[in-house]
Amino acid sequence: MKKFIENFKQHAFVRNVVIFFAVMGPGMITANVDNDAGGIATYSLAGAHFGYSLLWSLIPITLALVIIQEMCARMAVVTGKGLSDLIRENFGVKITFYLMLVLFVVNLSNVMAEFAGVAASLEIFSVSKFISVPLAGLFVWFLVVKGTYKSVEKVFLVACLFYVAYIISGSLAHPDWKHVLKQTVTPQFQFDIHYIIMLVGIIGTTIAPWMQFYLQSSIVDKGTSMEEYKLVRLDVISGCIVAPLVAFFIVVACAATLFQSGVRIETAADAAVALRPLAGNYASGLFAFGLFTASLFAASVLPLSTAYFICEGMGWEEGIDKRLSEAPQFFGLYTAMIVIGAGVVLFPNFPLLKIMYFSQVGNGILLPFVLIFMLALINNKEIMGEFTNKPAFNIIAWFTVTVVIALTLLMVVLLFLFPG
Amino acid sequence: MNAKFFIYFSEIFGKTVRDNHNRRSGRLCDIGMKINGEIYPKAAQMVLKRGFFRKEFALVNWEESVKEVGDFIKLKIDHRQIAYQRQQPKCDLSLCRDILDQQIVDIDNHKVVRVNDLHLLRVESHLYLAHVDVGTRGLVRRLEWTGFVDRIVRFFSPNSAFLTQEDFISWKNAQVLNLGRVKNVLRLDVTQQKLSQIPPIELAEILGDLDKLETAHLFKSLDIALQRKVFTDLPTTKQAELIDQLEDKEAVNLLENIPADEAVDLLLKLSNRKTRRLMRLMETKTSKKFSKLLGFSKDSAGGLMTTEYLTLPQGALVSDALQKIKENTDSPGNIYNIYIIDEQNHLLGVAPLRNFIDADALLPLILFLDPNKIFVRTDDKIEHVALLLEKYKFSVIPVVNKEDVLQGVITIDDVMAELISLAWSKYKEKL
Repeated sequence: MKKFIENFKQHAFVRNVVIFFAVMGPGMITANVDNDAGGIATYSLAGAHFGYSLLWSLIPITLALVIIQEMCARMAVVTGKGLSDLIRENFGVKITFYLMLVLFVVNLSNVMAEFAGVAASLEIFSVSKFISVPLAGLFVWFLVVKGTYKSVEKVFLVACLFYVAYIISGSLAHPDWKHVLKQTVTPQFQFDIHYIIMLVGIIGTTIAPWMQFYLQSSIVDKGTSMEEYKLVRLDVISGCIVAPLVAFFIVVACAATLFQSGVRIETAADAAVALRPLAGNYASGLFAFGLFTASLFAASVLPLSTAYFICEGMGWEEGIDKRLSEAPQFFGLYTAMIVIGAGVVLFPNFPLLKIMYFSQVGNGILLPFVLIFMLALINNKEIMGEFTNKPAFNIIAWFTVTVVIALTLLMVVLLFLFPG
Repeated sequence: MNAKFFIYFSEIFGKTVRDNHNRRSGRLCDIGMKINGEIYPKAAQMVLKRGFFRKEFALVNWEESVKEVGDFIKLKIDHRQIAYQRQQPKCDLSLCRDILDQQIVDIDNHKVVRVNDLHLLRVESHLYLAHVDVGTRGLVRRLEWTGFVDRIVRFFSPNSAFLTQEDFISWKNAQVLNLGRVKNVLRLDVTQQKLSQIPPIELAEILGDLDKLETAHLFKSLDIALQRKVFTDLPTTKQAELIDQLEDKEAVNLLENIPADEAVDLLLKLSNRKTRRLMRLMETKTSKKFSKLLGFSKDSAGGLMTTEYLTLPQGALVSDALQKIKENTDSPGNIYNIYIIDEQNHLLGVAPLRNFIDADALLPLILFLDPNKIFVRTDDKIEHVALLLEKYKFSVIPVVNKEDVLQGVITIDDVMAELISLAWSKYKEKL
């Protein structure tokens, strides 16, 4: 037996896999929360309505994501402070307050998207949203307030294996791989308002602003030292590659099935068709299950992390181990996000799929502003010492900022020129 | 001229500064304080800013130049005497950079808070930092929403506490944390004096609320004795974080001076490389002791024991024992039991202080041994140790190896700590 384990340990591949799972931490979790209801909806729409013509964007987005998340991780390890802490200490209370206000609104729309995901997925099983959404809201609230979140996190992570279904389904649909790969490496652009909105949405859902805050505080909480930084970076970078990889296969699966047959996605049930090559008639069931767990996972993380970093920036008491009277703002914000997020979804004829999509466009519009703060912080020698950005990092990050702002402006201009 | 003695920093920030001929010389954008051991620091420098697209800054000496602080700030000097420069000058203890929006320790209430505004005392043309404002009113004032928010609150509840309640901390009870930036400025004795009023266990809790750089700065400002006390009260993960931030020499110094069992628990938390590096820097005696302890499993008697205990040879007298105890009152270990050993360190018996404290000093100590020769072996499990401690109502129990050679002692608090964490993890599993 001992010998067997010895042999096992010597096998390089096995060892690497074991190491990988051992370090699987904040980076991987963030990446998986990233593919939430909004993400699935946006990628499905991208594949179904634009075929493979948006695939190319995933390569530069991945590059930007790696650069940006690495910056967060580095700031976390060097300063030991959260992003909103740093913003407050270096830009003052006014800027912090208004940034937090905008973040609150955008994140609230993200929470709405998660509850919309819950509603849409369970409607496929013909469960009314008037039952599913309030129950999901209560579940999330208790999960965190009763402090059992950590143990459930692993269950959620396992549920993320659902994304494998897209990889298989995408392959079974027999897309023309040559064509797919060619489309992936040839950038193209359409001066079409829908195309541009979709591009901003894809950027916004893959590099969501809240992710940067969330990742940075999770790494701070873990209390990593500079010596272990290599492992943290490995974790963060693998997360940054896995998330767009999943996105890639969702787009391919949807393009190979829905776009091919010219179906326009109007409800979640339409999007489920992408899984038909794998699951046949069970496609909608599989899709609903996946969407449900992804939504619930993100719905547990988003309100909590938003309440955390707003309180952190404003200097209010925070933490779920505090009593209500000690941290009223914290519990107030947390509860408000769940109540409003779940409540809005209950309106009759609420456009579930649309909110999932447009919340991600909102992320995309906010992203460059968060990035500008991050860049100012990470290039400040007083804060980062010798760990400021290398020029190449700055170039890529500033390029991302410029491109996203340009796209947003173009989007606004086009919306004014051709309303409707 | 003005009955208002106190003024908020947010009220004078950005105020126009005029020179002796009433010409605009810029706006106030920062104040540097003098730190001279007085309770309330006095404004010593002012940073001026002028221009919008092409910004220029100037550092102005407060006492020599400021005439009056009112609706605007009036200078005694001509603005041609002011030297402007492109770069923002740095002052010693800057209100904007070092205090405002930063975290401070509220020494009175033992917690970490964020500064929303500053309350300055005005005496003629001089300003003193009197209070830091950590309340919601301060926050609203900084956002310049006071009028609006007050009107709304008054509309709904005219007697609301919000309208009058300020949340101040007196400067003498506030401790700046951002020592990294003003490291060489704060007088260390003032810091220590302020912090020494807080019991070590509370200080440890405050450190728990801080990020690691601030923890290290605050920790370094404590004197050695307090450092040790606070350090032992920190949770192990925080200890490991702190050791990472300290210089190797400081870390070693600390490790050598806390109970050996705690030091070993901590070494187990650190990376192997770091442990080896620290062990190399230690005295040979200490590092040998540590490497022995590191070899035992954590829940065995060997893993629990510490090597701080008092021993005497067979022939020792009561007077020797009392002398030994007196010499070791500073030792971190247990001093209420003396272990009698032979030349090969075999344990012969335990003499509890209670048995011989009143005895004739010239009697041999061996007469006062505890009748039950109770001990545990290095590989005994923690449950066994706990049962024996409870059965004989001991607070310490000796640990011997297979050859009956004394290896160390286990104190009841270490067993308790381990049992509590065991019970706690079981409880959590149940949840």
